[in-house]
Amino acid sequence: MYSKKKSPACSANLRRSLALLLAAAMLAGCASAPVQPWERGRLARWDMRWDPDPLKAAIDNHTYFSKEGTTGAIGAAGGGCGCN
Amino acid sequence: MGCPCALHVEADAQAAQRALAAVRVECERLDKKYSHYRDDSFIAQLAARTGESVEVDAETANLLDFAAALHAQSDGLFDITAAPLTRLWDAQCGRVPSAEQIAQALRSVGWHRLGWQRPRLHLQPGMRLDLGGIVKEYAADRCAQLCRDADIDAGVVDLGGDLALIGPHRDGTPWSVGIKAPRAQNRASARIELPRGGLATSGDYERALLIDGKRYSHIVDPRSGKPVQSFASVSVVADSCLIAGAAATLAMLFGVVRGGAYLRELRLPHLTIEDGGNVSGDITLRSP
Amino acid sequence: MNGRSSPSLSLLLAASAALLGHKDVRADESGGAHSVGYRFNVYDEDAISAPVTEGDPRRYHVDTQQFALDTALGNRNTLSLNAVHEVMSGSSPWYLVPGPDNKPLEVLSGATIRDHRSAVTAAFTHDAGNNDTTSFNAAYSQERDYHATALGAERTLPLSSALTLGFGGSFSHDLLRPTDALLYHRVERAQKNTASVFGSLSWVLSKDAVIESGVQLNYQSGYLSDPYKLIVVADSLQADTRPDSRSEAAWLVRYRYAVNADAALHADTRLAANSWGQHSLTLALAWYQHLREGWQLIPGLRYYTQDSARFYAPFFATPDERYFSSDYRLGGFGAVSANLDVRKRFGRWELNAGAERYHATTGLALDSGGAANPGTVSYTRLFAGLDFHFD
Repeated sequence: MYSKKKSPACSANLRRSLALLLAAAMLAGCASAPVQPWERGRLARWDMRWDPDPLKAAIDNHTYFSKEGTTGAIGAAGGGCGCN
Repeated sequence: MGCPCALHVEADAQAAQRALAAVRVECERLDKKYSHYRDDSFIAQLAARTGESVEVDAETANLLDFAAALHAQSDGLFDITAAPLTRLWDAQCGRVPSAEQIAQALRSVGWHRLGWQRPRLHLQPGMRLDLGGIVKEYAADRCAQLCRDADIDAGVVDLGGDLALIGPHRDGTPWSVGIKAPRAQNRASARIELPRGGLATSGDYERALLIDGKRYSHIVDPRSGKPVQSFASVSVVADSCLIAGAAATLAMLFGVVRGGAYLRELRLPHLTIEDGGNVSGDITLRSP
Repeated sequence: MNGRSSPSLSLLLAASAALLGHKDVRADESGGAHSVGYRFNVYDEDAISAPVTEGDPRRYHVDTQQFALDTALGNRNTLSLNAVHEVMSGSSPWYLVPGPDNKPLEVLSGATIRDHRSAVTAAFTHDAGNNDTTSFNAAYSQERDYHATALGAERTLPLSSALTLGFGGSFSHDLLRPTDALLYHRVERAQKNTASVFGSLSWVLSKDAVIESGVQLNYQSGYLSDPYKLIVVADSLQADTRPDSRSEAAWLVRYRYAVNADAALHADTRLAANSWGQHSLTLALAWYQHLREGWQLIPGLRYYTQDSARFYAPFFATPDERYFSSDYRLGGFGAVSANLDVRKRFGRWELNAGAERYHATTGLALDSGGAANPGTVSYTRLFAGLDFHFD
């Protein structure tokens, strides 16, 4: 006789991860000296973009969205399919 | 400005007079402010106030930021604090400086010794700024803009061979401008058609030391104190005289090999002439 | 990659902007304002390794073709057009039955599904300079039993020289008409609406690093169950029945670090939760390595974990819940994947290719709770493509 009971440990683990990530993000947010316009060369590189390969990002998001239970990236909503 | 200046415009007489007056006022203003040779310039005042933190205005701050950018892009070769060094190698002295003199000058040279945190500038005692490498081209662009603001759309601002186009001839045709030939005053080595933008030339021919048949360029490496072995002249065409001048100056500082690669990477029309007469670049060369 | 723009020239232009009175100079070039690309992708699921009572154990296979066209319209506008065509085949998990020792056994749909999907997306962006952009996008997707239309808009604004704000929203309307509805007592016609908003902040941390933090909220309503799945409840087979609404929230942090002139590190992390009781964590790392002569090597790793929805179970002993589903995607599992991409530039052409290996099981989940679901997926993905830059 099998019935589903959710394990209490799971939520605690995820909550801990959430706290760690929040702390890391806040620390990262403390920027140091401002970056001058002529120093932005590196930031403009192709491999420093949020999505250097948009076609790959699109198909990755679509695949993970179809095969996993939760939703995708920033601004990626729109364009559904029969997969989830 | 320390050089012959000319203004060519196509406009009615009144507009032309107005433009000439505006350009003259602007050139005098910039000369008074940034001249390396005047004792009453802002630069001279800064030199008198070494050791203290001076607040500079927006225009000076922008020029300093630009100089900082060029310093970073050239790995330290472009350095507006190098005046004590270049003075040593000036043709007027007539002799090669000694090692002690170079070492002495080097002590007051170095962008890293300068404190620049916008808008405050801090110079160490003995330091002196020389904005000659950028102010002339900046002045040309400013004057061209003043003419455009005065409704003049066709003309050329010529400050000692550094050109800023106001706009093409009224009939749309480009201006035919000449590039100075090294070591041959008043003769052009090339003529090119320019409808807009700027042209700047960096060259050692006017101020180089010639001692015992050996040529010492007045373009000095601020890190070693010695002149660089480089082109005889570099000319660059860009959207503004400022950019053209910066590119030409950096190419000169980099030397023949690295400078050539730099100019090719920029993909701007350019012309380089080496000591031996070797000419390269992709500005169309037509015998004058 | 940057097409024909010169980085040195961009630096000069950026540095001179204040002096020349230009307000709109950017230190970067968008590179490849005009480009066209084609990519072929293969997705192949592993056969189910656990015992299967019925049906063909070979699972899903999808061939996908992608076309992309990017073009500049004037100085400040770009238009992107994308088209996708997918061909799907194979069998899909249908329901789970209790086997010996009450361990779940998979029943796969017997008939080989063969279907195709086509979709087009268009995005228009206006760039006012200085990180101030506005974009609009629209998408349409169609397959035999499913049609979806979506519209969205986004905006980015500079808050300071180091901080950029982004926000936007989208809306999607989907129409479902399951095949063989009458034959299998499926719903004949249903619809689903999704609304979503997001907000993000990106910081320039230094000349080598940037970080972005964003939050996305979704709300879905309509028919959210899977019409092709069944579930054993007591002793009878019932249709997969899920609530008719779901809200979701996700928090995403992305970090980009230029290690040196030839390499960059990407680190992404995402936390999500929804109103069905599921939580998930995603961690992804990628390394971008430039080798000489225009070669790029990009290895990556990803870890994903989720826990189960309130109404999930492989099968139910008693029908005391209103909702029930045994779809593994509503259960707890973890997944690791590793991938490697390669790119090579030849003048204006660029070749790209890559492979990914993905493996999901309940044992990899962070909480490792819940019974194993044999329906969790392992797959291989491969792709190869060609891009052409017009400038």
